[in-house]
Amino acid sequence: MSREPRSPKPLSRLALSVACVVILLAGTGVGAREFKFQGEHPIQVVATVGMVADAVRNVGGGLVQVEALMASGVDPHLFKPSQGDVRALDSADMVFYSGLHLEGKMVEILEKIGRSKPSIALAQRLPEDLLIRVGEEGGELAVDPHVWFDASLWALVVEAAGGALAEFDPPHASEYQGRASKYREEILELHDWAKERIAEIPKEQRVLITAHDAFHYFGRAYEIEVMGLQGVSTAAEFGLNDVNRLVDTIVGRGIKALFVESSIPRRSIEAVQEGCQARGHKVIIGGTLFSDAMGEEGTPEGTYPGMFRHNVNAIVGALK
Amino acid sequence: MNSSFWILLTACLVAVTCGLVGTFLVLRRMVLMGDAISHAVLPGLVGGFLLSGSRDPLVMLLGAGAVGVLTAWLTEWVHRSGRVDTGASMGVVFTFLFALGVILVSAFAGQIDLDPDCVLYGEIAYVAYDTVLWGERDLGPRAVWLLGGALLFNLFLIVAFYKQLKICAFDPELAESLGIRTATYHYLLMIATAITTVAAFESVGAILVVAMLVVPPATALLLTQRLSGVLILASLIGCLSAGLGYSLASAADCSIAGAMAVAAGVLFLLTFLFSPRHGLVTRAWFRQRSLLAEE
Repeated sequence: MSREPRSPKPLSRLALSVACVVILLAGTGVGAREFKFQGEHPIQVVATVGMVADAVRNVGGGLVQVEALMASGVDPHLFKPSQGDVRALDSADMVFYSGLHLEGKMVEILEKIGRSKPSIALAQRLPEDLLIRVGEEGGELAVDPHVWFDASLWALVVEAAGGALAEFDPPHASEYQGRASKYREEILELHDWAKERIAEIPKEQRVLITAHDAFHYFGRAYEIEVMGLQGVSTAAEFGLNDVNRLVDTIVGRGIKALFVESSIPRRSIEAVQEGCQARGHKVIIGGTLFSDAMGEEGTPEGTYPGMFRHNVNAIVGALK
Repeated sequence: MNSSFWILLTACLVAVTCGLVGTFLVLRRMVLMGDAISHAVLPGLVGGFLLSGSRDPLVMLLGAGAVGVLTAWLTEWVHRSGRVDTGASMGVVFTFLFALGVILVSAFAGQIDLDPDCVLYGEIAYVAYDTVLWGERDLGPRAVWLLGGALLFNLFLIVAFYKQLKICAFDPELAESLGIRTATYHYLLMIATAITTVAAFESVGAILVVAMLVVPPATALLLTQRLSGVLILASLIGCLSAGLGYSLASAADCSIAGAMAVAAGVLFLLTFLFSPRHGLVTRAWFRQRSLLAEE
C-alpha cells in the first residue's frame, strides 16, 4: 500500500467496497421464481413419508426416481436426518412432503428448500373445508395431518401430485395427468370398498381405539367412532386420566378390540388393555395398524393401497 | 446446492466458539454449565410465548437467551455470595429454573408444545437450507451468522481481557491481591457462556454443544499447560472432531451431530492413553523402560 502515494481515504474506500458488495449481491438475487425441469429424466424426487412417495411414484412412472426419507416404522414427527438424507435433499430436483405439520419442525426447512427448488406440500393443497381441526396449538386451531386415511381425500392428493409434476415438467404434462387420473380411479374404488367393509361391523361395535388420534379422517369417511389415547402429535404424552377415560368407555360399551400402530410403542395401548382386564373385561389387541408410516418397501403393505387394505381388514376382522 | 460445506463450517464455528469458553469452564470446574443451561431455558421459552403469543424462532431465541444469561449470573452469584461449591450452585439454579418452567407450562400453556426439542434446538443437517433473506437476497445460513457473532464476541472478550481472565481462572486469590476484580471477569465469562450455548443450541441442537464445550478443552489440557496453547488446541481439536465426525456420518449414513460428538470422545480417549506427558500407556511404557534400565 505504501507504493501508492495517494490511496483513497479510509471512509471513501469503505463506501466503495460497500457499493461493490451491493452490486455483486444484486446480481445473485433470488426471488420467487418458476421452476422448470431442465435435464435428463428421470427427475430425482425426494419424498418425506412413504404415502407421499407412493403417490409421486405412481403419477411419475418411469419419468421420476423417488426416494423416501422416512423408512417404514419411523415417526415423521420425530424424524432425525442422517448424512445420507441431507445428500438426497441436496441432489434432488424436486421435493414432495405431506405438510400440515406432519413432519414436525422439518416443515419449516422443507418450506425454505422451496427457495431453490420446487418443494411441494401435497396435503396442504387440499381444500381447507375438507380438513379436520383438532384442539388448539399456539393460539390457532391445529389441523389433523393424517389425510390419507380418507381415500377420497388421498385421491385429490394424487391429482395434486400430477398437477405439480406437470407444472415442473410441461413437455410430459399429459402423461402425468393421465397416470394421475388412472391412480385416482384405483383409490376411489378402494374408498368404496372400505365403506362396504366397515358397514359389515354392527353399528354399536364400530369404535376404533388406537394409541394416538390419527384416525379422525378414517372415522369421518367410513362412519366409525374414533378414540385415541394421545393427542394428534406423537410428542404429547398420555396421562393416567386418558387411560381411565378410555377404560370406562371400553368396559361400558363392551368393545372387543384395541389396535396398536406401527410407528408408536405398544406400551401405551397395553396399559389400557391391562386396565380393562383389571375391571374384568377382556379386550384383545386387534392387530397392528399403519398410521404415520407404511410397511416395508417390497411388501404389499409398502404401497398405499396395500397399507390401506391391511388396516381396513384388520379393523373389520377384529371388531366384527 | 451443497450442504457439506455449510455443515462443516457451522460445526467448526461451534467447535471454536464453544472451545474458547469451554476451556475457562473446565478450569473453573463448571463444565456442565452448557448442560445446565439446556434445561434452564424452559421458563424463557414459556415467558417468550406468553408475552408474544407465538412460538416464532426469534422469540424463542430471545427468551432462551435471557434466561440463559440469568442462569449463568445466578450460578455465579450463589457460588460467590453463599460460599456454595460451583457444581452445587449450578445444580441448584438450573433445577429451580427448570422446575419453574414446568410449572409455568402446566399453568399457562397446557396444550402447547414448548419442549426445547421442538421449539429451540436446531438440526445441523439442515443448516444450509435455513438461510437469511435480506429482501430478495440470500445471505447464507442463519446459523453461520448467529455463531459467527457469538465467536466474535468471545474472541473480543478473550483478546481484550486475556491477562485478567488467565489470572482469575488459575489463581483467583492472587488476582484479588493484585487488585483485579475477579467478580467482574467471572460474570463476563458466564454471560459469554450463556450467549454461546443458546446461539449454538438454536443452530445445531444440544448434544453437539454440550460435547464441544467439554471434550476438546479437556483433551487439550492433557496435552499442554499453557492457557494460550489450550485455547488454540481446544479449537483445533474441536474442528478435527467435526471433520472426522462428518466423515463418519457419511460413511455410516448416520446422525451428523451424534457422529461429531463421538469423534470428539474418541480423540479424548486416544489422548488420555497416548498423551506424551500424561497418557496412561505412555507413562506405563516409560516406567517399564526405566525399570529395564535399572536392571
